[in-house]
Amino acid sequence: MALEEEQQQSGEEADPQSSRTGTSPEAAIDRFSWMNDTLEWGVRAQPGKRGLTMRDLNVGSYGEVPESSSDMSRRPRGAFPISGIPRTDLYALSAKVDLWADNAVDLYEEAIQRRWMGHLEIAWEEITPQPYEYELAMRQLCTELAQQASIETDLIGQWLHKMNYAYHEVKTFLASEIFDTGRHYTIFRHRALHNGGSLGLESAGQFNRRMMETRPGWTEVSVFLYLVRGPLTLLLYRFGEAYARNKADQLLFRKCMEDKTRHMAYGMAHVRYAVENQPEGFGLGLSNLMRGVERDLVRDLNDPVLWEALAIIIGGSVENIAGGMAVVEDLKQRYIEDYLRRMQWAGINKTEANLSPDLAVFLRREETAPSGD
Amino acid sequence: MATVESRTAYWEQAKEQGFDLSWLEKLREHVAGEGVEEQSANDTGRVQGSIPRGDVARFGAYTFRTKSEVWAHNLTKLYEEFITRQWSSATDIPWETIQPLPDDIEAAQCQLATFFTQVEFIASDVPGRFISTMSPDYQEVRLALLAQVMDESRHLDVFRKRALANGGGLMRMIDSVSDVVGGSTDNAREFTEFSSRLHITGEGNVLTLFRLGEMMAYNEAEKAIYRRCAQDEARHVAIGVLHLRYMNEFAPERRDEIHCYLDEGESRQATGAGGENPAGQSQLTSGALAMLLGGGKDKVDEGQKILMAIRQRQTKEYFQRLKSAGFDDRIHNGRVNPALLEQYKAAA
Repeated sequence: MALEEEQQQSGEEADPQSSRTGTSPEAAIDRFSWMNDTLEWGVRAQPGKRGLTMRDLNVGSYGEVPESSSDMSRRPRGAFPISGIPRTDLYALSAKVDLWADNAVDLYEEAIQRRWMGHLEIAWEEITPQPYEYELAMRQLCTELAQQASIETDLIGQWLHKMNYAYHEVKTFLASEIFDTGRHYTIFRHRALHNGGSLGLESAGQFNRRMMETRPGWTEVSVFLYLVRGPLTLLLYRFGEAYARNKADQLLFRKCMEDKTRHMAYGMAHVRYAVENQPEGFGLGLSNLMRGVERDLVRDLNDPVLWEALAIIIGGSVENIAGGMAVVEDLKQRYIEDYLRRMQWAGINKTEANLSPDLAVFLRREETAPSGD
Repeated sequence: MATVESRTAYWEQAKEQGFDLSWLEKLREHVAGEGVEEQSANDTGRVQGSIPRGDVARFGAYTFRTKSEVWAHNLTKLYEEFITRQWSSATDIPWETIQPLPDDIEAAQCQLATFFTQVEFIASDVPGRFISTMSPDYQEVRLALLAQVMDESRHLDVFRKRALANGGGLMRMIDSVSDVVGGSTDNAREFTEFSSRLHITGEGNVLTLFRLGEMMAYNEAEKAIYRRCAQDEARHVAIGVLHLRYMNEFAPERRDEIHCYLDEGESRQATGAGGENPAGQSQLTSGALAMLLGGGKDKVDEGQKILMAIRQRQTKEYFQRLKSAGFDDRIHNGRVNPALLEQYKAAA
């Protein structure tokens, strides 16, 4: 490369600058020795129609994502390594299979492009006081959703710093996700307190606990966060939008739905990648893991607080709670169906046949099965 | 609209149908508490101000559950600014303005960009670690930190983009930990230690440099990068200043301890140890900076003179932060690092 030639030249000829300052030519070479230190020179990443994206940078050796990394010094991928650097951290997640998803790099850019500002873009003044019971129920729903977001913050916070920077695409995407969760927390808390309200009851918490206490790996956490909790959160957003009584609430839920869809796109892609690339039997292990997890889920699904609140929102009042609850039962059924579909897509053999019987109840198959007469 | 009587009637009716509704009673009676608790008993990740239940397993185990360990005033306002001033490294930087540069200048830009890419890793990982160890009752602090993680991720992204956008490439990695006096930013287990080290000293120095980005930039794209990063960095520094200010007012018993952290930070600033200050003495990046500031390989010594002025400015701005946070007594009582004091006097 031209730089090398220049360096050689500067080594052969006395540098006028160094002679002026009394520096020896050898010292001058040392002074500029870093100019040679690159693994690949001459890279010119080109912006596309979406600007200069992170994917555009993955050219040449800079785009080679290692299967594993033993680097514990935070060397940027493709930077020139130097010996004798002490380790700075112990990155527990240093294998591609533990965190990777091909779509993370694009989802990161999407998260940036679709950023929004809850405190400015939501027309809060349109959210006028609603009938008393509806308002109380809305506070409860929003308290639950704020806590779900906060738990997601905790969860990603627990794992993000354990991920090796060889996979910066995933780390930057998860940084955008944690930023989203902060926004979701803020707007749902704000919505609960709007119109002079106060917050509702904390979450039933069994599944929160399960996610927070999971230690074996990010893939297991991803299954819980994106394939089990994610579809529920998404449905709650959907129903929140569908039964909103004003455009502000509608927009609030819709925006969160867009974010959540993105989070789940990463999570599902990662779990599928892990199942495909981990040793045989990994997917079976995840499937077996779900037996206990599903019992936790059942406990949360049977807790009345969230569901009765939602039934009041859908029905419009306590007077119509029974009608609302019929819709809630549909939601729960859709949730379990969605959970099964997503697990199967990711390569985990989770079917109605091996679903926890207590969870299978929510599918209501006996109610809809033909009588056989 | 339902009257209280009719409401009571159909609430009873609903209960007879099997609905619980006890939560509704609790909500009706619940009055939001005032302010943030000094001690947090939150072990279940509940939202601050929500109604605790008795039947939820405790899984929080939050290390930080005392307000005076983490708090700062006005973080909500700062967080809103974080939200409002997000930007895109893909589309908000005029990449088309980058034109081929002489090899020495391009190499210097790439070396500096490599440094910033790597140093932003620290600034992203370390605050991230604290988020999940802090009680959600202090959510304002958590929000500021997670917003910082987002900013730093964008910074590592934009500097990687710069290194690979103009015929160059990533260059030599940095040695960011050896020769550290006292604890490092990385190793801090205590929030105030972490914040004083990262926000006040580390990012403070980087902020000064970003503010002077015009001097190192050779095109509009680079100017835009430094300008936008400076805006972000100012918010990160503000987290630290606001926290120290709070500590000064509400935890004066910890002032001596905080002075110890500042001693260590100053020592690193004065010597360049730790490698987090790109303008620090004996740094790989100071050579690259001198090249950029001087205008080329043959003007490095001129660049070094400008770099000296930048170091003085870093110190001046650091002293301003001390003053703003209420820790400027060290400037006058002989505790401040003598080399920094000398720089400060020279800058006056």
